[in-house]
Amino acid sequence: MSGSFYFVMVGHQDNPVFEMEFLPAGKPESKDDHRHLNQFIAHAALDLVDENMWLSNNMYLKTVDKFNEWFVSAFVTAGHILCTALDSSLYGIKNFFNDVYDLYIKFAMNPFYEINAPIRSTAFERKVQFLGKKHLLS
Amino acid sequence: MAQCVQSVQELVQDSFVPMVAVLCSEEAERVTRKNNLNFAELLRPFCRLTSEGHIRDPSNQVQLVKNLRICVNNVVTSPNPACAAFSPAQRRLLNEVVSSCQPQEGAATNVITAGDYDLNFSDHCVKASVPWYSAWRQTLSEVSTSKHYTATTPWFEAYRENFLQTMAASEHEFLNHYLACLLVVSSTETVPVEQFLKLSQEQHRIQHSGDYTNPKWFIPNTLKYYVLLHDMGEGGEQRADAVYEDMKQRYGHQGCYLLKVNSRSSSAEDDEQMPDPWSQYLHRSNMQNQVSAALIVGLIVCGVLWNNGPCVVMGTPSTGLEGHPLQLDTASSPGSLHALSAEQPELKKGGRDPESLVGAAGSHGACLTLNDHDHIRQFIQEFTFRGLLPHIEKNIRQLNDQLVSRKGLSRSLFTATKKWFGGGKVPEKGVSEPKSTCGLLYPPEAPELQIRKMADLCFLVQHYELAYSCYHTAKKDFLSDQAMLYAAGALEMAAVSAFLQAGAPRPYPTHYMDTAIQTYRDVCKIMDVFITVKQSSFVPTSFIPLYVQDSDLRSALLLEQAAHCFINMRNPMVRKFAFHMILAGHRFSKAGQRRHALRCYCQAMQVYKQRGWSLAEDHINFTIGRQSFTLSQPENAVTAFRQILTNDSRQTATQQGAFLREYLYVYKSVVGGNEDRLPQLPLPCIHSSATRVYFGHERRLAEGEKQAATHVSLDQEYDQDLAAMWGHLEEQLVAAANRGIVPASFQPTQCCLNSQTDNLRRPLAVAEEPIIVEVTFRNPLKVPLALSNLKLLWKFTAEGASPSEETAGEAITNEESLTEGTDTVVTTQIILEFLMGPEETKMARLQLLPRRTGQLSIVGVVYNLAAAPCAETQAVDFMLVRGRQDLKIQGPRLNQTKEDKMLVRHGLDRRLDPIITPPMPLMEVFFLQFPTALLCGEIRKAYVEFCNVSAVALCGLRVASTHPDFFTFGSQGTTPLTPVSPTSAENCSAYKTVTRPPGSVASEMLVSAGDFSQPSGVMDIPIDGGTLLPGESTQLPLWLRGPDHEGVHEINFLFYYQSTEKGTQISHRVLRHTVFICASRSLSVQASACRSSVPPHHRLDDGGGGTLVFVDVENINTSEGGVREFHIVQVSSSSQRWRLHRRINPASDRDCKLTSRERAKLCFRATRCRPPPAASDAAEKYTFADVNLGNERIISSSTPCGDFFFRGCRSPESHRVGGTASRTSSSSRIQEGRAADISSIVKKCNELDLHIIVIWKAYVVEDNKQLILEGQLHVALQTLGKEVTSLTPKEEAQEMVLLKFKPEAPAPVAPPSAELSQLIKTNLHYPETHSHPFVQESLCVVPVTLTLSNCSSAPVDVLIDLRHKSPSPESVEVHGSFTWVGRTQYKLQLEPQQVLCVTLRACFLQAGVYNLNTPRVFAKPTQQAAVCETSQQAASPALIIINNA
Repeated sequence: MSGSFYFVMVGHQDNPVFEMEFLPAGKPESKDDHRHLNQFIAHAALDLVDENMWLSNNMYLKTVDKFNEWFVSAFVTAGHILCTALDSSLYGIKNFFNDVYDLYIKFAMNPFYEINAPIRSTAFERKVQFLGKKHLLS
Repeated sequence: MAQCVQSVQELVQDSFVPMVAVLCSEEAERVTRKNNLNFAELLRPFCRLTSEGHIRDPSNQVQLVKNLRICVNNVVTSPNPACAAFSPAQRRLLNEVVSSCQPQEGAATNVITAGDYDLNFSDHCVKASVPWYSAWRQTLSEVSTSKHYTATTPWFEAYRENFLQTMAASEHEFLNHYLACLLVVSSTETVPVEQFLKLSQEQHRIQHSGDYTNPKWFIPNTLKYYVLLHDMGEGGEQRADAVYEDMKQRYGHQGCYLLKVNSRSSSAEDDEQMPDPWSQYLHRSNMQNQVSAALIVGLIVCGVLWNNGPCVVMGTPSTGLEGHPLQLDTASSPGSLHALSAEQPELKKGGRDPESLVGAAGSHGACLTLNDHDHIRQFIQEFTFRGLLPHIEKNIRQLNDQLVSRKGLSRSLFTATKKWFGGGKVPEKGVSEPKSTCGLLYPPEAPELQIRKMADLCFLVQHYELAYSCYHTAKKDFLSDQAMLYAAGALEMAAVSAFLQAGAPRPYPTHYMDTAIQTYRDVCKIMDVFITVKQSSFVPTSFIPLYVQDSDLRSALLLEQAAHCFINMRNPMVRKFAFHMILAGHRFSKAGQRRHALRCYCQAMQVYKQRGWSLAEDHINFTIGRQSFTLSQPENAVTAFRQILTNDSRQTATQQGAFLREYLYVYKSVVGGNEDRLPQLPLPCIHSSATRVYFGHERRLAEGEKQAATHVSLDQEYDQDLAAMWGHLEEQLVAAANRGIVPASFQPTQCCLNSQTDNLRRPLAVAEEPIIVEVTFRNPLKVPLALSNLKLLWKFTAEGASPSEETAGEAITNEESLTEGTDTVVTTQIILEFLMGPEETKMARLQLLPRRTGQLSIVGVVYNLAAAPCAETQAVDFMLVRGRQDLKIQGPRLNQTKEDKMLVRHGLDRRLDPIITPPMPLMEVFFLQFPTALLCGEIRKAYVEFCNVSAVALCGLRVASTHPDFFTFGSQGTTPLTPVSPTSAENCSAYKTVTRPPGSVASEMLVSAGDFSQPSGVMDIPIDGGTLLPGESTQLPLWLRGPDHEGVHEINFLFYYQSTEKGTQISHRVLRHTVFICASRSLSVQASACRSSVPPHHRLDDGGGGTLVFVDVENINTSEGGVREFHIVQVSSSSQRWRLHRRINPASDRDCKLTSRERAKLCFRATRCRPPPAASDAAEKYTFADVNLGNERIISSSTPCGDFFFRGCRSPESHRVGGTASRTSSSSRIQEGRAADISSIVKKCNELDLHIIVIWKAYVVEDNKQLILEGQLHVALQTLGKEVTSLTPKEEAQEMVLLKFKPEAPAPVAPPSAELSQLIKTNLHYPETHSHPFVQESLCVVPVTLTLSNCSSAPVDVLIDLRHKSPSPESVEVHGSFTWVGRTQYKLQLEPQQVLCVTLRACFLQAGVYNLNTPRVFAKPTQQAAVCETSQQAASPALIIINNA
């Protein structure tokens, strides 16, 4: 998965709230068999996120887990929404997390959005996509 | 780590035991064979020592050896260098061991709760894929508290055991090298001693010739122990004893033993039950024979102490540097299930094999008595304590001495010399691999290995402390030599011995193990799988380097163990567990272990399920489905695939297509040819609550010219308000049909049932009338679906009242496809093809035609499901499965009681359970020439046709409408003779007319209101005979009148009819019709009335007194419709007491034409009617007076004019009181009751109650044709002086009312002066001019007559005062010059309607113009007190001119 990147926000019931895959510009669609692997790895890393978040004052937890060539970085919001990113290269991931967190807070202010519910907003998606391009793929 | 039977300590101890080889002479072999065992096997059950042994360490400390076990094996030589990679046979064996060891079904479940996850182990895998969460939650508490754990992964233990036994010996370790050799010779041998010698030589040859690399020997001078085996059954005990004595002489009594066995003849005493301790070792020994190398070397087991339990982590370094052939990989992921099914039998066969192996073995130890058992036990003890342990002790001592002697040189110097000379050890690199990754290799007898040997020896005799220090030293040496493989081995063992040290003086050296693993992995690259779990405080991090080159099976097993490690941690890591289970499952499936793979996936599924990780879930479900299918659990496969399809899938369309095809394939194989019990299909989704049920035929909307009643159709959306409106209309109709009483059981007819209708009762359907069920299907997939042969499933219970029929009371159903003759009960319509696009929601309308009476319940739908053929693939899709889906409709959520609100409860919904009733009449209604647009007030004639299309006669035809004033069927007797058929009625006036020249005088007619009025909004439809026979139809004229308000009006008709038969289940039927009429503006009529002041001589014939009626008519048509002009044809009046008398317009404008925005004023005089004959009901008689302006007189009292008049005058009232006209009469009664009240008297006096009907004709050009439209407008003049208009003023927007915080002071009760002043009408009669010669006579007296007429219906007291009262200066100025002479005050009483004349005299002094209107008249009703006396103001001046003659 050279250069590609998978981002997931996880709610309180370990349910994915928002998922997105980032692929480098040249690469077409990712293969299907990778898509579920992403989920598996991110989900498995949650155990370590749960542990690490009590050891640090920071929201950004750096790399918490590693599976073969995938590194899992995590970010825990104040509302205990876990953001996990899967990547083999880790540049700019902290900024990405911070920006997405900003975005998420704004989104969560919407009184019609129920915390933990999957985010189905094209605007949100577009913005995350943009942030991903800005911080991760560039 | 899963629960194991053995503790870690035990496991490690049992894994590293002194190895003893056995060499047997042939005779001895024969003796043991009698027991169906070889010698090694014979000893095996007794290899664990029950008593404690002692050993002295080099420092002469006595060391206790507890619970020692030795391992006895036959020497099996193999000439080739050992291949660390398993041979195919070994692999197969291990595979079999694992696959034969499966979790027991129905075993006690083992539940682990971690966070909000509950995990269940050793449960049957079916349950993993179905929602059973809550089910085992209950059992959770009891199970988790019980401490009775069995091994959760027995297959792992079996594997481990077998693995350890089949492991080849390794070069760098000595733990499983042979320490001693038993030389066994039978006493029956002719010269046993010779045999011993031979065996001894044999052993020496094996060990030292170099021909064999296997087995490996620990020390050059292996302990040889001579055993004389004596068969008691063959006698010769003396001789044996003698030989033994000889042996003692020769080998020392510590080096030999006489073992007496077989004291029992094999044939005798079969019935005696002997314990068979061999059986549990049996299949192990079987395998032993198959495996070439029976030496165990190089196993590393290390224990890691968790806080909550031991955890074994196992690594298996294999020394095979030649590469690892991947020969055993079975085709693990076959491309499609078609291939999978072929593999199945093979797999089954494989699974059986181990069992047959076990079964083949007979009984063992048949010739052994319990005494013999003891002998063997004693022998082992003797051997160990006298032979083996001293031997070990001696060797340790020796090695120690060597080491101590070498210690003279310093370590560094020692190594330095080695480096300089390079001779002490020859760094032998692997010949085949010159650049061996493991660093250098020592020759087997290299001095560097001595310390390691000593360590191993100490380890074997449980002297862990010494072992640890030796390992520790050895590690340092190896590391300094860069012998990485050796160093790693030493490190591991150091860690293990530290772990096993009882007192644990030092903490467990975790880093040792880590380093060892690292070394193995990085330097040696020989790890297959290595798992370690690092423990640092309470936060374990873990890493699992996977270097899988060799065995999928091993990695699978180890991954599974890793998963168990995660779950058994203090803070269980459930998600890690799940992930590793998935990985393990994947490996298992690659290794061909389908059952284990399935189990792993199922267990992992518990974590992923229903959390929204859809891709992961799909993957798991897909694997579960495939594995279940290959394991011939197709039901589970179907469930799993169903999950994939029904879940909210994020897969691509092609993927979904593939899933769908697999599902269909699996499903088809499950169902097979068995079509009787149709299983449930998951696709497409049925939105059950959106199901709509429609009773009756689909409506035809139009038939030629005819326009059918709209009724209800499935295309209409349900509207709560509309339903209430129809219900209300129906209630009126039912009330009308039942003499005004609505039966208690009344329930509005519902033709179309949906989720919002009241579905608590079973609906009533009629036999021979179709039932249409609209089912909403949703295709959740991105691939199209093709349904075919779609039909409804139903159950029918015939009515119990038909005893002649056999089937009565028994349910008939069409669920079984083979059931014949269901069509005679209920005909089921089949939709042959029903295509659904990707993610489409589509409704299917399925029809049933019940033919008999009874109870029907619609159960579900049945259809063939197939993937829709794509455009690209033209191939015919064979994947067509038939299945059903049930329609289960949940009723609305209850919200009545508190309990309902707390819980989620649902009510009944019976819309799919109709009761079929006997045939009922069915009527269809058609409309002919029905307009869509009308002018306000326009009268149009249309026709309506009623058809009875059923086989039952109908009667009681009625109609109710939301706009009863909109139409009329005409009234009996007054209906004009218009042509009944619509065709001949072209351009014919709707009115009944009589030719009559225009005149100003009205013609009158007296009509009883009863002829017209209907009791309520319900109208009876006047059909001939009142009934419609089957098949009959009748046409009736219908007059319509455009609504008074412009705009689009929705007019609803509800036709009511009932069967001529009595006592039917359905009391009546209704038919709805809705029309939309666009009304455009025509004329506006404003009318007012005032009391005429006609001189008395004119109105002598009028009885009471005349009233002037002014009618203003304006054309307000905006004329876009081509309306040219309006002609006012006639003005009629209708009242009970008044009538229009004559037109008093100026003669010039006779014909009243109005073009756009023109206005005309018409003036009429109205007079009181002649008092009606006393006999007739005066109140109900209306006088119609027509004043025609054209050449024809329209008889306004007849249909349709009269009808609409009556409807029009009632409707405002009925509108006001909400449609029921019952209250009007009561209110008028109240008025009568208070007749005495002054204001009412006064009001009555002013009451006019005259209805003006303006009939017009409009000339319209439409399509170059001139049409004449007619119409009528009604104005009701209620009181004098008030202007009324036909246009109701537009509803003005409610004005903002100022919010007031202080209640307003009640308005003072104003004396009803204005009304009272109307009681008496006064008139002055006098000559307009009067000439008087003032010269001759200075006073001029003129007689003036004052006429008083009482307008009210009560006697009135009148006071006339002629005195000038308030001589204000200006009034004096104006008329102060004349004076009334004579009597200046009169007091009179006037009877009702009485006219009285009083003659007055006015006296003038000079010529001039005078206003005579100065008398003041006070009137009061006689009964009232004097307070109410009020002046009757004479408004207008009455001028008189006095001339001077």
